Amino acid sequence: MKIGLEMHFQLPTRSKLFCSCPTSAADPNHNICPVCLGYPGSRPSLNRKALEVGLSIARFLDCRIEERVWFSRKTYFYPDLAKNFQITQYESPLGTDGHFDLNGRRIGIWRVHLEEDPGRIKRVGRSGEEVSFVDYNRSGIPLVEIVTAPDMQSPAEARAFIDQLIIELRSLCDLDAQDEQKVRVDANISVGEERVEIKNVQGLRNVERALKFEAARQTKLLAAGKKVILETRRYDEERKVTTSAREKETEEDYGYIGEPDLGEFHIGQMAEELDLKETPLVRARRLMADHGINEVTAKQLVLTSSSLADMFELLCRSVSSEKAVTWTMGPISSNWSALQDHHELWSEVVAAVKADSDGEITDNEAKRRILSLAGVKQETAEAGDADLDHMISDFIDAHPEVLANYRKNVKAANTVIGHVMKESRGRYSSKDVVEEVRKELEKRV
Amino acid sequence: MDREIIARVAKVARLELTEEEMERYAQDLDDILNSFSILDEAPMCETFTFNPIAVVDVLREDQPGQDIDPKLLRKQMRTYEDYVRGPRLS
Amino acid sequence: MSVPAPHELIRFAKERYHAFTEIAETFVDAEFHFSAKDNLCANGFQARAGSAILEGYVPPFDATPVHRLKTAGGQLVGKTTMDEFGFGTFCVNSAHGIPLNPFDIQRSCGGSSGGAGAAACLIPGHIALGVSTGGSISGPVSFCGVVGLSPTYGRVSRYGLIDYGNSLDKVGLLSRSATLVREHFQTIAGPDPKDPTSCAQPQLPTKGRMPDSLAVPKEALANLDPAVSKGFQEAVGRIQEMGVKVEEISMPSLRYAMPAYYILATSEASTNLARYCGMRFGRREEELNQHFNDFFSGVRSQSFGDEAKRRILLGTFCRMVGFRSRYYLKSLAVRQMLIEEYRKVFEDHQMVLTPTMPFLPPRFEDIRKMTPLEIYGADFLTIPPNLTGMPHVSLPCAYQQGLPVGMQLVSDHWREMDLLEMSSEWEGHFPYRFPEVGP
Repeated sequence: MKIGLEMHFQLPTRSKLFCSCPTSAADPNHNICPVCLGYPGSRPSLNRKALEVGLSIARFLDCRIEERVWFSRKTYFYPDLAKNFQITQYESPLGTDGHFDLNGRRIGIWRVHLEEDPGRIKRVGRSGEEVSFVDYNRSGIPLVEIVTAPDMQSPAEARAFIDQLIIELRSLCDLDAQDEQKVRVDANISVGEERVEIKNVQGLRNVERALKFEAARQTKLLAAGKKVILETRRYDEERKVTTSAREKETEEDYGYIGEPDLGEFHIGQMAEELDLKETPLVRARRLMADHGINEVTAKQLVLTSSSLADMFELLCRSVSSEKAVTWTMGPISSNWSALQDHHELWSEVVAAVKADSDGEITDNEAKRRILSLAGVKQETAEAGDADLDHMISDFIDAHPEVLANYRKNVKAANTVIGHVMKESRGRYSSKDVVEEVRKELEKRV
Repeated sequence: MDREIIARVAKVARLELTEEEMERYAQDLDDILNSFSILDEAPMCETFTFNPIAVVDVLREDQPGQDIDPKLLRKQMRTYEDYVRGPRLS
Repeated sequence: MSVPAPHELIRFAKERYHAFTEIAETFVDAEFHFSAKDNLCANGFQARAGSAILEGYVPPFDATPVHRLKTAGGQLVGKTTMDEFGFGTFCVNSAHGIPLNPFDIQRSCGGSSGGAGAAACLIPGHIALGVSTGGSISGPVSFCGVVGLSPTYGRVSRYGLIDYGNSLDKVGLLSRSATLVREHFQTIAGPDPKDPTSCAQPQLPTKGRMPDSLAVPKEALANLDPAVSKGFQEAVGRIQEMGVKVEEISMPSLRYAMPAYYILATSEASTNLARYCGMRFGRREEELNQHFNDFFSGVRSQSFGDEAKRRILLGTFCRMVGFRSRYYLKSLAVRQMLIEEYRKVFEDHQMVLTPTMPFLPPRFEDIRKMTPLEIYGADFLTIPPNLTGMPHVSLPCAYQQGLPVGMQLVSDHWREMDLLEMSSEWEGHFPYRFPEVGP
């Protein structure tokens, strides 16, 4: 099975891609101006931040970056498209030929480019006779499109890919935390020879479901000796099936031409001068290589908070990496919320651990020193544990679907873990949280 | 420029042509494109520029702002509950 | 000193000559009065660009050139008649009337800024904002016997200009004298953040330089009406008497200019016009119950004029899969090649000199007999500088059969002030004539 993805993420800018309208939430048709309404005589003007973020993503994905890029008009008619052409990049994307390492497998990245979002359509009326109600607030919102090679081998892998990519992009460029739900994906999937494109699926979960359905459909067809037709299909979120898109929509001729209103952009130097943040998974890989720690630990470290990983690295300069892991994931992580913003205390934490490691003080003494640095007494720490239990059971009570999902797949526990880690803002060590969540879920199953 | 092509072009451009128009435009475009075939003699180049002058790296800072009141724009579009009503989708 | 708008004359130009589609309700005591071609947006006036599809559209903003002239103390007294979206050579493709030539009302004003040409001719002291894509300023200027500047592409902001071809459109000025053009050109030129392509320009010099040598491409002298040939040769003689050398040269790539121009212009135009589909412009509430494809097609077919449809079809074809490379991309290459050819000429000469139009202002009855291809061919002298974004002026250079003959001077990018210097100098050597008409 081969799966390729085209993903669209909204870029974290304050104003739109080609006009100054705000990108914040608003009532329908409030974030609008002549540019994003496509009024004749208005002109686009490129948002510097959008270009920078797009380039960071292209560089992060190890793409080849051309010196000179421009934008193009992709012409098609639809009620949500203010100008009936979309300004996008056609012959000259920001980056090409990159890759992303997914759990040790290399997924090819064909291209990364910027484009504007069309408006949003609300369908009103009976099915089959729906009229469109258009809200242009979304018109001109900056999107980055990332296109992969058909290198993924299962729907689960496709989901894992998007999942990990989002983690990385979130840290790289402050991508919106909601992007698991908001990411819009076109997916190519072929079980046999012919490939099918599933258009415009929104959200991580729907992508996996659509792909699973489509994989099963194609497998069944092939097993019955039938042929899969090369076509575009749509995913019906309610019925959870893919259906053939009308032929009309596939034969549009976009007639690309260069966009003369924007000029061109010489991005070589800008791309080089960008200071790329080290993303969590990249850091995890580096921690594994530099300190010989295992993958689970490395990921736990970087996903808890980047400052905790900083602490770990600081410790590694003075003590062995095993010691550093034990202490970071244990007492330090449990008290991290109190310590993380007080950089002046970090060296004392290191000193305590080093003293223990050198045999100068006992484990308990070292732990006591750390607790006192954090200003937390033993008792409150224990009370904190009770809080943790509360937080976990409250969340599971409020989200019964988690338990249902957990019965099918133990990975559903991650939803709870993620919530608690975020809510407690690093007050508990990730090890403790994982253990407690598992315990609670097992108890209920 | 046969009938099939002009019909396809008209469809892509969202123009409904009468029989008379179809025939007339096909003839006009045929004449025009024939005279344009002189372009085939001209050399092709590899790098394309889209403006006759160099327009390079003109960027806008990411500062939100609206200099025309959106209320005025909504009024001009005769919105319904703030939405712009459009035609049927299916 | 304030010059009140000669409102009687403005009304007369509108009613008798159809130069304006709309005029101000009141005329104020302003520093000067000016008009804008109807594809330039201005508060309080409809901006219909000669098209029925923009009926009733009153833009909520001023185009930058309009804004700058207002700020300089001018009153916008009216919007001038034009071919629909600028699609025409004779200003007969307008949904809002056909302007009549002040020299002979049986004849065309030229297009597409025909109303601007007529207004500039009829109203002394008037300055008209025009727009040129392929010759839409020079053409009317030549036929109406006035002075017109089409600046370098990107010199004057296009913010608020209803697009025809975004890589070709230029806002310029028409008037009876080069002095007025120069004064107001300095007002409207300069970068504008609302139009990125205007932000690449070098500063406008305060003064221009007279050329010492002009080049006349021999390719431009073929296929001229004898009256134009004769008038032009007389003008060349006068220029030499002024002490400026005139030398015949060859520009072989000129023959590619016409097709390349029409392909680029219509390719861009067909995308610009996609937005007129009934959602915002040309809206028909009663037809919203149709499927969007039928709704869009219906509105567009009913509201666009004949030439607009022809150019949409041509432009859509030229960028379609399978034809795009042969037509659209090739035309981009030709433009580049032609710019280089001009540059070569500018190594030895400061300007290129040609007649502006190949014939005298034609009669409307003769225009009706022309095929679309013949009409496109009439622009062959104005297209090259427009395609390459070179600034150019057109000046009256002779009178034949009681009608004006125009000559066109083209300089390298950004050298408008040299053109205007030469234009002023020419005015001192060749007195212009204007028809004696009035209310």
